[in-house]
Amino acid sequence: MTNWLRVFFVGGVIAYRGLFNWIRPAMYIPTMLGSPLFQLIFFTKLGQYAHAQSRDFYIVGNSVQVCAMSSVYGMTMSVANERQFGTLGPLLASPANRAAVFLGRGLPVLMNGLLVSVFTFAAGALFLGFRPGLASVPALAAIVLVTVTSCTGFGMLLGSVGLRAKDVFFAANLAYVLMLLFCGVNIPLDVLPGWMSLVGRCLPLTHGIAAAREVAAGAPLSQVAGLVWTEAGIAVAYAAAGFVFFRYLERASRRSAVLDAY
Amino acid sequence: MIEAINLRRTYQTTTGVVRRKRLDVEAVRGISFSVDQGELFGLLGPNGAGKTTTIKMLITLLLPTSGQARVLGHDVVDDAREVRKRIGYVFGGDRGLYERLSAYDNLRYFAELYGVSGHRQRQRIDEVLELVGLKGREKERVEGYSRGMRQRLHIARGILHDPEVVFLDEPTIGVDPVGARDLRQMIADLITVGKTVLLTTHYMFEADALCDRIAVIAKGEIVGQGTPAELKGNVAGGRVTEIEVFGVDEATVVRLRGVGGVSAVTVEEQDQKQLLIVQTTGERELTQPLLAELDGVEVGRVASREPTLEDAYVALVTAE
Repeated sequence: MTNWLRVFFVGGVIAYRGLFNWIRPAMYIPTMLGSPLFQLIFFTKLGQYAHAQSRDFYIVGNSVQVCAMSSVYGMTMSVANERQFGTLGPLLASPANRAAVFLGRGLPVLMNGLLVSVFTFAAGALFLGFRPGLASVPALAAIVLVTVTSCTGFGMLLGSVGLRAKDVFFAANLAYVLMLLFCGVNIPLDVLPGWMSLVGRCLPLTHGIAAAREVAAGAPLSQVAGLVWTEAGIAVAYAAAGFVFFRYLERASRRSAVLDAY
Repeated sequence: MIEAINLRRTYQTTTGVVRRKRLDVEAVRGISFSVDQGELFGLLGPNGAGKTTTIKMLITLLLPTSGQARVLGHDVVDDAREVRKRIGYVFGGDRGLYERLSAYDNLRYFAELYGVSGHRQRQRIDEVLELVGLKGREKERVEGYSRGMRQRLHIARGILHDPEVVFLDEPTIGVDPVGARDLRQMIADLITVGKTVLLTTHYMFEADALCDRIAVIAKGEIVGQGTPAELKGNVAGGRVTEIEVFGVDEATVVRLRGVGGVSAVTVEEQDQKQLLIVQTTGERELTQPLLAELDGVEVGRVASREPTLEDAYVALVTAE
């Protein structure tokens, strides 16, 4: 078990440092902090100009959604880059527990996603006047944590796909934008066509954002427990699907060299 | 320590876009060999001969289509995890390392993957860095490393967990001569510390200098097996005649192959000229009949010598 935990925690952090393309400050600051900040300001100001929803609707929606910058891109890099860097062969030739290897990569991604969301909420408070009640903050933090986890699970699935598909960052770009559209970030779900809101309900973020909005408006955590549990379920489902697909590819690669990565 | 019994691997591939046709490509066609404890065994063969496919099966990255392979008594199919714990795998080339990490962190990561305990890690990493001559450079990012340094790091990673068996897949490929000589010394040192090594290489002098035994593989089959001296013995009794020519054509080469006593003719391009390497069976002097076939071709230096391992290799892989 100790070895499992070491691979999960220590291995996960080292792999993240080795595989995450934007880890240098010159890349990290504009990508992980600058881009979310401008996304927040853009959609909040646009929404206020259009008088469509309240200011907090956009601040909460975007501050939660920007965690996908880390969770979708970061997680995709953390898995799919193994193939791009040619390290997949040595990794798969090792006896390390695959669940520890795979899931361990999610932890630094999750922490980074949390940091990006907290930074964006803070920017919302500083520049746009977002003022949730102090009592709401712990519940809001818990909801953000669950939502970042579900986004990271989604990133795990994309990362696994990236082991097989060469141009997975095209899919990651698409996923990020579709999450903006389908998950109720800037457009309420009930305004979207039925099929779009249905897709949105199957994606991460949607239930988390809805719960975060209610809590930010003063609702207790117990009132949004159903939404939070659904988001947690989505997190488990995507992470499990990502891991199952990763194992499937590993087996298929032994059988028919589909990864052709050595 | 390593045992391959009638090992076979077939890949499926497709051709065409509209009318897709499935093709079976036999990469390895039922090869058998064994490697004893403490032995350095070489697998020689041209590109596409099946060397890397064989290694991939032995290190559990590929399943054999049929046949059996065991490493340290563990089946590579049914007991893959046990095999993985006990072997090291080193391949040649620039890739396969975490570029943004230092050499130390690369090794630390693989120490975690191989279950080297926390308190043992520092000591073991220092030992292997010392062994491969990277001590003092371990904190630098790998992206700034030369090809030779990367290759040393590959070897350090392969032996980090102190495996009993080490697989080296063309470890000196693309490394400069001095660096390659250091790497060869490193490989020889592995044997002195008790490792069993399976090495694939294109370089004959490397195999000749390092290997206790060699299997020559061509088109997925083992076409010769033995010690370097035994393999050379296969063409001994004969001689090798080297003829420098300027502008020889294929028809002339075919005529040379037809000369009685000639077993193989290869052409080596050398800038403006070509070097004809003619292997002959028996002790009969064939220089005159060979030169007679070269009538009309400008001939330079002509020399006769004893066969080398390379001659033995060429004879084996070009034999029909």
